[in-house]
Amino acid sequence: MGKSLLVSPSPHLHANVSTTSLMRDVIIALVPASIVSVLFYGWAALLVFALSIVSCVLVEWVITKYLMKKPSTVGDLSAVVTGLLLAMNLPATTPWWIILIGAIVAIGVAKMSFGGLGQNIFNPAITARVFLLISFPSYMTNWTATQGFISRPDAVSGATPLGVIKEAIGSGSTIPEYLAANNLTSVTFLQDMGASLGELSSIALLLGFVYLLVRKVVKAWIPVSIFATVILISGIFSLINPDIYTGPVFNIFTGGMVLGACFMATDYVTSPMSTLGGIIYGVGIGVIVMMIRYFGSYPEGMSFAILIMNCVVPLLNIWFHQKKYGRK
Amino acid sequence: MSKLTFSIGGIHPHDNKISCDCKIEALPLPSTVYVSMAQHLGAPAKPIVAAGDAVKVGQVIAEPGGFISAFVHSPVSGVVKAIAPRKDLAGNMVPHIEITVDGDEWAEGIDTTDTLITEIPEDKALILEKIKSCGVVGLGGATFPTHVKLNPAPGKVAECLILNGAECEPFLTSDYRIMVERPKEIVIGAAIMQKVLGCRCVIGIEENKPLAIELIRKAIAELGYANMTVAVLKKRYPQGGEKQLINAVLKREVASGCLPIDAGAVVQNVATSLAVYEAVQKNKPLVTNTMTITGDCLPVEKNHNYLFRIGTPLSFIIEQAGGIPEEAAKLISGGPMMGKAISNIDATTVKGSSSVLYLSEAATKRKAESACIRCGRCSDACPMGLEPFLLNRLHKAADLEGLEQNAVQDCIECGCCLYSCPANIPLLDNIRIAKGQVLGVIRARAAAAKAAAEAAK
Repeated sequence: MGKSLLVSPSPHLHANVSTTSLMRDVIIALVPASIVSVLFYGWAALLVFALSIVSCVLVEWVITKYLMKKPSTVGDLSAVVTGLLLAMNLPATTPWWIILIGAIVAIGVAKMSFGGLGQNIFNPAITARVFLLISFPSYMTNWTATQGFISRPDAVSGATPLGVIKEAIGSGSTIPEYLAANNLTSVTFLQDMGASLGELSSIALLLGFVYLLVRKVVKAWIPVSIFATVILISGIFSLINPDIYTGPVFNIFTGGMVLGACFMATDYVTSPMSTLGGIIYGVGIGVIVMMIRYFGSYPEGMSFAILIMNCVVPLLNIWFHQKKYGRK
Repeated sequence: MSKLTFSIGGIHPHDNKISCDCKIEALPLPSTVYVSMAQHLGAPAKPIVAAGDAVKVGQVIAEPGGFISAFVHSPVSGVVKAIAPRKDLAGNMVPHIEITVDGDEWAEGIDTTDTLITEIPEDKALILEKIKSCGVVGLGGATFPTHVKLNPAPGKVAECLILNGAECEPFLTSDYRIMVERPKEIVIGAAIMQKVLGCRCVIGIEENKPLAIELIRKAIAELGYANMTVAVLKKRYPQGGEKQLINAVLKREVASGCLPIDAGAVVQNVATSLAVYEAVQKNKPLVTNTMTITGDCLPVEKNHNYLFRIGTPLSFIIEQAGGIPEEAAKLISGGPMMGKAISNIDATTVKGSSSVLYLSEAATKRKAESACIRCGRCSDACPMGLEPFLLNRLHKAADLEGLEQNAVQDCIECGCCLYSCPANIPLLDNIRIAKGQVLGVIRARAAAAKAAAEAAK
């Protein structure tokens, strides 16, 4: 017999799944939300998306090729996901050089310096967002009101719903007074305000998340425990004093809540492995984000909440394990 | 009744039961058979024949080499040519008895007819003795001597005999075929084992075998066995794993380090049940078994289920089935999840042989390993609730203590982790090595403790 045969230990079959296919699913899940934000914010948003993705992929390619001198890992599409998520955390007016700095921080600092995919402690896109927010606050909070497609945003300096409410309460007003004074209902208030590219399209994001659940790419417990905690805390506070504390619906659909809970907090690398660990991680994010929103100096705290809980993940992985067969 | 399944982990590979409609055909006799002395779990058997002896089919040619061991019988009639070491499937040298075939004359006292014998002997010791003297071993994969398993240690009581008809491995259909073609014999075999154990019996069959479920149910009804039921199981791998099957049927777990009997269960494969029937009712030793010839690169008409004589060389079977297909990149003996890759087609069949499986390169070739992305799919898939990613890391760090704490010794080597890994990390390969090391440590510790106890006396 001249033919040589393969010999290897079992199993001899493999599920049709790869890192690339999982990342591709995340990209597909982010498509509806990306389309919505491009439709609302126009060409500028498209440019931010393109620039962010290209920079992230390029930074990873350069680092693997010239610094690490290893085969490039851009084929696994994880840099594309980071680029996409970073873009969703930026206003449509972000200048190109800020995006590039963001990509260098996300890929270079948060991901590759730890050893690349699977090794990082902090979510790369969020690390970059927080870095940019602290370094360039004026650019990063230059929110434009929704403009519609093809209209170039002319950089009307607006603020996010979370921002204006915080300002109004800070100046001694109450939420109902603010809405009445500006001739708004709670529905139009949400629609009209400016936001980051990803924030506006909560429904599109949830749709994408359902796709990930159906494809069994991620599990629901982390987002569910975040949402449940946020609803519980904001429900109690807004019942006690609706004049200065925003309610559950407002808190779920504003800021980076849906994007953060469904796509950033569920990042494989920076979230706990066990179910119980994941629930504690989600509750922790929910508590921290509400504390920042109600009592902090920043109007939004989703990024900080996720980064803080990222630090706890190694401990959660040591403390909590899955139930083993035949053991207590 | 709703469909049952186990509670932790598991995967859903495509079942690929291509050969399910191929009737069992008796394979012709080869010119020479090589009977392995190590075809059961435990000590190898000791030959009791010498070169030049004439043997008949079913005649004892080797005795048990220890408490956990089994008799071996001649599968053919002919002349013993040699007793010599020979390479087995994996390439290890194992003593074999080589017999030149000159006919098909059976030893006296063996009933080779198809007549169904429904009357079960009353004497439990006689039943056990027959099972032992006929060399019956577990045919579900482990080949553990059946008479040992049916004779629980003093103080341990079997509450339920679980007959394993799950056949959860993709591709394999030999258990399915015997359930369809010989349901009554299987059911009587189960009743015989029930008599020995004095307990009820549940026959677990996966939902993808509706005909087998129907025919086994019919056989139980016709034979009027009251204390025996069929449980329909969900299609899920590794449903047929002993611990998983106990969990599915009895909703109990076998505690780590314990045996199924500690959870009140005895699990036997349907093929073993058939062998028990033949041993007890027909005095027929275990010299034949059923095997599937199939694969993803084999046209349907070239699929077979063969009744083969144990000791027939694989090369003879492959030739009878039409040779190795052009696209086959790997030959496997057993299922694609837990079977062994065949490195040597001159190796011989043993009691536990269940298939020759041809897989194409696209289906079976390992892909390049990439970085772990901590997706947790391996722990989701692990039916023992282990964390393969963690065990892999601990293995790389050579942390035996950590490995033991994280229960590497509980691994059943089902392959779900490696199957599920998107980064193609050889998790099970590493875990197997680690498990061997940790079991070595545990055994050494037990031996040291025993020695210390002796010394203290």
